[in-house]
Amino acid sequence: MENAVKEINNFKIECMGISKHFGEGNKKVDVLENIDLQVEENEFIVILGPGQSGKSTLLNIIAGLEMRTTGKVFLDGKEVTGSGPDRGLVFQKYMLFPWKTVFQNVELGLKLQGISKTKRREVAEHYIDLVGLKGYEKSYPHQLSGGMKQRVGIARAYANNPKVMLLDEPFGQLDAQTRYFMEEETERIWQQEKRTVIFVTNNIEEAIFLGDRVITLEGKLPGKMGAIYTVDLPRPRNYTDLDFLKLRSKITDATKLVL
Amino acid sequence: MSSTKEGLIGLSDSKKTFSFKGLFKNNYFLYALSLICFFLFWELVAVTFGKFLPRPIEVIDRVVYMFGHTLAGKTLLMHLWASLRRVFIGFAIATAIGIPLGLFMGFNKYVHAVVKPIFDLFKPMPPIAWISLAILWFGIGETSKIFIIVIGAVVPVVINSFNGIRLVDPDLYHVVKMLGGNHRDEIIQVSFPASLPAIFAGLQISLSMAWTTVLAAELVGAREGMGFIIIQGMNLSRVDQIIGGMFVIAITAWMISAVMTYLERWICPWKMQLKK
Repeated sequence: MENAVKEINNFKIECMGISKHFGEGNKKVDVLENIDLQVEENEFIVILGPGQSGKSTLLNIIAGLEMRTTGKVFLDGKEVTGSGPDRGLVFQKYMLFPWKTVFQNVELGLKLQGISKTKRREVAEHYIDLVGLKGYEKSYPHQLSGGMKQRVGIARAYANNPKVMLLDEPFGQLDAQTRYFMEEETERIWQQEKRTVIFVTNNIEEAIFLGDRVITLEGKLPGKMGAIYTVDLPRPRNYTDLDFLKLRSKITDATKLVL
Repeated sequence: MSSTKEGLIGLSDSKKTFSFKGLFKNNYFLYALSLICFFLFWELVAVTFGKFLPRPIEVIDRVVYMFGHTLAGKTLLMHLWASLRRVFIGFAIATAIGIPLGLFMGFNKYVHAVVKPIFDLFKPMPPIAWISLAILWFGIGETSKIFIIVIGAVVPVVINSFNGIRLVDPDLYHVVKMLGGNHRDEIIQVSFPASLPAIFAGLQISLSMAWTTVLAAELVGAREGMGFIIIQGMNLSRVDQIIGGMFVIAITAWMISAVMTYLERWICPWKMQLKK
């Protein structure tokens, strides 16, 4: 794949014609088909799709953890060829290091890049504070609740100062109440430290609550581009606002799938 | 008395108010009760059948006697030390071979492909079967005993170190990659710490294998060690000495295992969570 440089537009992230299949021959499974996606700087994009629509695969392709079969991904006009610290990934299963404290988990990225200890402490404490975990620096992950674990996951990704935050169904394992709360927190954190965000979810309310734009993926496999909805409701949004509910039923009606 | 909704033995509040119901929910009380019943039963059998089984007090007497008097020129502690030394040396060699071998098998599929068939061939052979071979090769000295211990103790270390690496969640490597780490960072930050609990579990099994094999080796031919005490007891028809030796071994092995557990908690404090 040639390392093309595009300078035609100013998109932060651009995906062009992404397709992906696993396996070959009669074991071949198509996961994604011809995905195009443009994300502006500091935009909060939500990719909404049911299970088995390839949305996590798409995120992993943008992250560089999985290779696409065809198509290109550009970050700041440069083609993405692998994983790297310019993108921060938040995992559905938290993926904290159980042998590291909250502080050690958050500072890991900076440590791997050889940042000095003083600077690491300063940055890590800032983000631990930002996600509301001040006082838990010395706790181990198994001492934290699910919501707190994911806060660490968010702080860890943020601390590396990535250009783009990629969140892969980050609240999928939380109970409903914690989930609402974490959605509010995600918005607060994003307002305080603006980043380009690509947020993957199967939850339609979460999508409308958080997204500047909501992009639907049509499953079953392979996932194809559905409609794109611009959410111009004022923030912070309310699940029970009339406009919120109107948009919700508009998205629900437009897809064949139960969301 | 609370109805103990937790349903857990030992969590009842028997300390606050005394009651028999509470007492029977206390684990330590039940442990003690179990041991008392066992020794009472033993005493009863010993008194009834006489010469085949000594009374518990006679066994204790014999153990105390062996502490103060020599058997084949050595006191009980010197014999115990002889066995311990063999266990430690054999265990250390097994660890030094087993951990790197298991880790390399986990890291590199070619090492795995080369080692696995040979390992699988030797694994089901009982280590004790190696005794005759070891004696023919190395004589009845220390070398053959340590050889057998290593043969027995190395297997669980290899298997557990290998599985420790193999069962690491691949997403943990992805975390390091996304944070800008290289392959070396993945090994240091993920592979080693993630496999530690499994390695420790292997070391525990390996330690008990070391005790089993050292006893077998000493039974065949030794002038010192706990196996010697037991075989000596058989030759002298001293059942109290045999049983006493067995108890000394059990208590020593238990204490070493407890030290290992303590070490493990100290080195991997997160392990309790992984166990669930």
